[in-house]
Amino acid sequence: MRKAYKLTAVLALLFLSVGWSYAQYTVTGIVTDARTGEPLIGANVLIRNTTTGTVANLDGRFTLNVPGNNEVVLVISSLGYLSQNFTVSQSNNNLQVALREDATNLEEVVVTGLASSVKRSNLANAVSSVSSRELTGTTTIQTTDGALYGKIAGATIRSNGGAPGGGLSIQLRGISSLSGASQPLIILDGVYINNSFQRTGRAAVTGAGASNQDDGSNRLADLNPADIETIEVLKGPSAAAIYGTRANAGVIIITTKRGAEGKTKVSLAQDIGFAQPLRLLGVDDWSEEKINFFFPEANNRRQIELQRFREGNRIDYEDYFYNNTALLSNTRLTVTGGNEKTKFFVSGNITSEDGTVRRTGFDRYSIRANIDHKISNSIRLGVSSNYIQSNTDRGFTGNQNNTGASIGYTIAYVPNYFDLRPVNGIYPDNPYFNDNPAAITDNAINNSEVNRFVQSFTLDIDLLKTNNSFLKANIAGGLDFLQNSTMIYLPEFLQSQRASANPGDLLIGKQESFNSNFQAALVYNWNLGQVNMNSQAGLVRLDFKNSSLFNRGRGLVPGQTNLRQAAVQEINENFNSEIQEAGVFLQQEANWEDKVIGTVGVRWDKSTLNGNANQFYAFPRASLAVNIANFDFFNSTVVNQLKPRIAYGETAGPVAFGNIYTPLIGANIGGLLGSVVSSQVGNERIFPETATELEFGVDAGLFNNRLGIEATYYIKNTQNNIQNLNLSPAAGVNTTPSNEAELQNKGIELGISGTIVDKSDFRWFSRVLYWRNRVNLTRLGIPTYTAGAFGSGLGTFLYAQGFPPTTIVGTPADPNVPGGFTIWGDAQPDFNMSFYNTISLKKNLELSFLVDWRQGGDNINLTSFLTDSGGTTNGWFNDDNGDGIPNGRQRPPAPHNNAARWVQDASFVKVREIGLYYTFPRTQVANMFGGALENIKIGASANNVFLFTKYEGYDPETSTFGAQSVANNVDIAPYPTPRRIFFHITLDF
Amino acid sequence: MKKYNLYMTLTILISMSIWGCNPLKLDEIDDPNNPSVGSVSNNASRQQIQFVLTGLEARHRGYVTNVSQAWNTFGREIWYLNGSDPRFQTDWLGQNGRVPDRSYFGFGNTGGGSYAAPYQAINQANVLIRAANNTTFLNDSEKRAVAGFAKMIQGYQFMIPANFVYNNGIRIDVEDPLNPGPFVPYAQAMDHVRNILVEADADFNAAGTGNFPLALTSGFSGFNTIAGLRQVNNAILARANAYRQDWQGVLTALNSSFMNLNGPLNIGPAHPYVGPPDAFNPLFYVPNAPTTTIIVVHPSVLEDALPNDNRRTKFFQRNTPVTVSTDAGVLTGTHQDARWPSNTTSIPFIKNEELILLKAEAHANLDQFADAVAAINIIRNAAGIGPYTGATSRAALIDEILFQRRYSLWAEPWGHRWIDARRYDRLNQIPTNFDGGTIFTQFPHPQAELSWDQYTGN
Repeated sequence: MRKAYKLTAVLALLFLSVGWSYAQYTVTGIVTDARTGEPLIGANVLIRNTTTGTVANLDGRFTLNVPGNNEVVLVISSLGYLSQNFTVSQSNNNLQVALREDATNLEEVVVTGLASSVKRSNLANAVSSVSSRELTGTTTIQTTDGALYGKIAGATIRSNGGAPGGGLSIQLRGISSLSGASQPLIILDGVYINNSFQRTGRAAVTGAGASNQDDGSNRLADLNPADIETIEVLKGPSAAAIYGTRANAGVIIITTKRGAEGKTKVSLAQDIGFAQPLRLLGVDDWSEEKINFFFPEANNRRQIELQRFREGNRIDYEDYFYNNTALLSNTRLTVTGGNEKTKFFVSGNITSEDGTVRRTGFDRYSIRANIDHKISNSIRLGVSSNYIQSNTDRGFTGNQNNTGASIGYTIAYVPNYFDLRPVNGIYPDNPYFNDNPAAITDNAINNSEVNRFVQSFTLDIDLLKTNNSFLKANIAGGLDFLQNSTMIYLPEFLQSQRASANPGDLLIGKQESFNSNFQAALVYNWNLGQVNMNSQAGLVRLDFKNSSLFNRGRGLVPGQTNLRQAAVQEINENFNSEIQEAGVFLQQEANWEDKVIGTVGVRWDKSTLNGNANQFYAFPRASLAVNIANFDFFNSTVVNQLKPRIAYGETAGPVAFGNIYTPLIGANIGGLLGSVVSSQVGNERIFPETATELEFGVDAGLFNNRLGIEATYYIKNTQNNIQNLNLSPAAGVNTTPSNEAELQNKGIELGISGTIVDKSDFRWFSRVLYWRNRVNLTRLGIPTYTAGAFGSGLGTFLYAQGFPPTTIVGTPADPNVPGGFTIWGDAQPDFNMSFYNTISLKKNLELSFLVDWRQGGDNINLTSFLTDSGGTTNGWFNDDNGDGIPNGRQRPPAPHNNAARWVQDASFVKVREIGLYYTFPRTQVANMFGGALENIKIGASANNVFLFTKYEGYDPETSTFGAQSVANNVDIAPYPTPRRIFFHITLDF
Repeated sequence: MKKYNLYMTLTILISMSIWGCNPLKLDEIDDPNNPSVGSVSNNASRQQIQFVLTGLEARHRGYVTNVSQAWNTFGREIWYLNGSDPRFQTDWLGQNGRVPDRSYFGFGNTGGGSYAAPYQAINQANVLIRAANNTTFLNDSEKRAVAGFAKMIQGYQFMIPANFVYNNGIRIDVEDPLNPGPFVPYAQAMDHVRNILVEADADFNAAGTGNFPLALTSGFSGFNTIAGLRQVNNAILARANAYRQDWQGVLTALNSSFMNLNGPLNIGPAHPYVGPPDAFNPLFYVPNAPTTTIIVVHPSVLEDALPNDNRRTKFFQRNTPVTVSTDAGVLTGTHQDARWPSNTTSIPFIKNEELILLKAEAHANLDQFADAVAAINIIRNAAGIGPYTGATSRAALIDEILFQRRYSLWAEPWGHRWIDARRYDRLNQIPTNFDGGTIFTQFPHPQAELSWDQYTGN
């Protein structure tokens, strides 16, 4: 938000230059930090409701000529501080201003429209902002979304697993869609960037199934988190309505850092760290007694096992495969500076992080240049360019089928007395499963290399300026080009490959996506009496193109990874899509002296995804905030701010590409090509799923705004939710998309933040967030069904009117429940809480930490199911009830054959981040380095430090199916989540 | 003024660039990946008809994997050991008291390969018939040939869901996808199969002579004439008539089929699998493959096999048995399927050996014992186990025929033993002592059928 702030300052300066020859008087003053007494350079001084103002100089002093002879109100503000108003007159024209730090972010400027922003104290929505300090200030997180855990009330963040390179899903305010992943729209410096989970093909090669079991990364992983200045999260339609069709699941607006006028600053930061698994579960030991119980006598099997047991070593495979120390390194170089006309921020980043599984890791190279240039006094151009290369090796974990190409899946079946480790380079065959995971880990490849370029521009043109109004044109847009080259390779000598007729499997993919967007808006700011009006009108154009080509080769020449070296070559996938969307918007904001702030707006959108591509759908919004404390009658000494607020808005979720088509699909048989009728019937009347949200709440600031309270309640209703209507399978077609379902999410978000201690040498800031959401399928519209995960025997999800779609059901049958199966759990948490603290000591030492608590919410833990099948669960052979049947064959509840055995409570408390930093005193640095260095900061930090849970898995936050609206809580042999520990040094030159 | 000129220029330039490529105008985007079903409904070209016809061949084999793995497990011809998913054992064998429900493992909400897939073939055939009838690029006899082929496949495919849900009955009126007819009992469903095959026969009869007018895959090599396909159609009708217990009908149909008492037993049409871009033979496993996922011969099949029966060459004894443990215990397989020399071997779907056994069965049921024994002996002699010496009563001959069918038709993609045991009310003779499971009689209608009726208010 610094950008918008700076712009205001620039505008203010501009207007100063306009000479006024009427009567005027001069006001002078000094602005300082109330806590430290240091001058606030660049503080803004503005005559309220005008465009006249100035900024404080290097000593914090300012001089302002006030036109006319009347008294006026000066608004004095500075980034990160609470602004103050002073009435000045010809007699009262010298001010001593001490601004307090804005501990509760009241002054923060929040983007609320496509071309406008408002300061938080005037905001009518609970928009969460995460500053760069909160985002990356405590520790170094690999990906941006990973750095948001616990920092946004209302967000459910879940990672696929612990594999390097990301793979996270974010759901804001519950589930907004039944068919998609219900992921927020992500806008980076105005560009609609691609955050899809792209296919890698791993699931195709390992046999796991569809690409949602690839454990691919979502492409937000490409963005260097350290480049980010701030992230704003519009959590629902009431805040995001102006974004229209793609905003049902919320909008995440990411703004990167920009240059500032002044001396060129060079900053070099280096993090070195290591990672180890956060949690391992241990494996069960074997005994002759257990072997006699476990293995049958038939075909001499028991004898073979006993012999292996007597001769073998004992190997803890969990330890062998997962418990490695990974090296982590992160290097960042930034150069910023500029003059009055041109400002720049240039950054380079090399992230090189190994995974805790051998031969896995994530490397990211990022270069960014953000340039702002004033073409003339009234035309400003901003460009942001970012090139990224990320290279990810995620290894082989998760689900598989018949290939053994998953460590966790395979070792679930291997007793600890059988040695899988290679001898003289030869990997023994695994008699308990389809492959030797040591051979897979050491030789197979699961690589993705992304080359990406994100470019944005904004052009602001001041068309008209008067003393109290301005008209501005804003033209903005950008593009995101992404190419992802993937390779999955299982060499020919692997056990599973030797079991196939064409040993050696290679799947090479190329995916390209090109997003471009363009926006043009006119913004007119004017005053109607005491009311400041901001009027906007504009249009938006979005284009999305995707293409993919995957080729597979089987029967490989040893050691070769070129498709031409394969005996059997096939086109595995070739898919193209093109989407065009356009919209028009109008918005009107009115602000009566920061007392009453109202907004109305509407957006109309159309899309080629819809059955009727030329129909506009309208998304209105309205909001009202009342700052009671700004009224004259209000004079509490305790409550400085009291703002009831209410907001309403509508948005939509897009139809999936292809829903309108009934295709004839190519099917090859016996050397001929056939056209087969698709089992999905297209719906040419399909339209977007829409959401309406009413949000209301109150924000309060107490004790000179040292304590801030934010409380919000929302009701989000979605209509016309798209889901597949199952047709009679006897019709020879299975599904058609329908617009029938309705969902309701209701929830509470509470935030309390404040400076508990605020002394010049000791400052303690603390923030507690609490949120809960309740989702309910208020209308299904089609017959009750179950779907997701692996069927009723292992736990699946119920889609029935009056039930949350997160309801986990399974065997045995229960005719009293819609859908016919017993209800065993609910994936939705009861509530989440997070606790963030930062403590500053003597200006030099800073400690911060973040604790995250999720209460309730069940997972389907099929890792337990696998290890129980293989007899390797820790404690498998114990017999708690003493009935002679070991625990591993008798998981509760009785009669020990139902789906509930794998449904587990996934409550947890995680110490997410801890950081401790020391900044050397400047004088000391100057003495030591004689001016070559300006600043040195060192520190140590940790991420995923501790996990407290009863859940019997590596991490309660895991999803074998990646990002999905439902069934995103299934645990199948995931990559264990790492605990990451870092040492940091930052040098400013 | 200078500034205003600049603004004007800029404004004009920007408006021009905006309206020059109007950002609010969207192009019409056709499916960039596939043609539409509608593209063949009106005057489709000969090549388009050919694609839909080959598509029918592709849909025609949609059942093979699922039926081969599941139904042959139900009849204990095989076990499908699967180290990755124990439910292929626990659920399909009915271990620990599991019984089929409406979305049972391996069949999903739609019945999967045992229900939805055959109906997809039936629907494809309907689309083909309509496309052929609505084009000027085929002459009348060509249209009849295409219709005959399409109906023949429909007759075959209807038997799959019919035998899957058995007494629960199936829908036979499925011309209109959004308005399918009611469920009819098994007997009526099988009558429908007969009728549709009789119609196919009439179509072939009116389709002239010579080669089938469009290209068929190698699966029909030897049968790709009008006459050859008519023989295949009658072979399918013979099987259907046996299920209908129309024994005279079996013999009539066999007489018009490709049955050859002196010819090779394994002759017959097949589903081809030639490898990419086609699929591989889904039943092929590398001999002695070091794997825990493999179809193995059920121990009862090995135990009951006669010592000199050369049909034992279908079973390949592994160097090391395959063992898979589940929460219902451990199963061990010693022999794997040796019928497929490679992963590009075709899988026959009806063959001369079955036709001769159907002849035997029809005669036995018509108390024509000498003819029955003669047919049985063709099979026995081919198997190297000498002529039949047992009693020549109907019961004894049926016993003998069912026994021969176990080995002659072992693990074909049809689940013969499961269906045969049910036909003769002998499901209780299928052994469960090797796995502690249960023998299923039939499946309930898949959940999607129930849901559809609920949706439409039926």
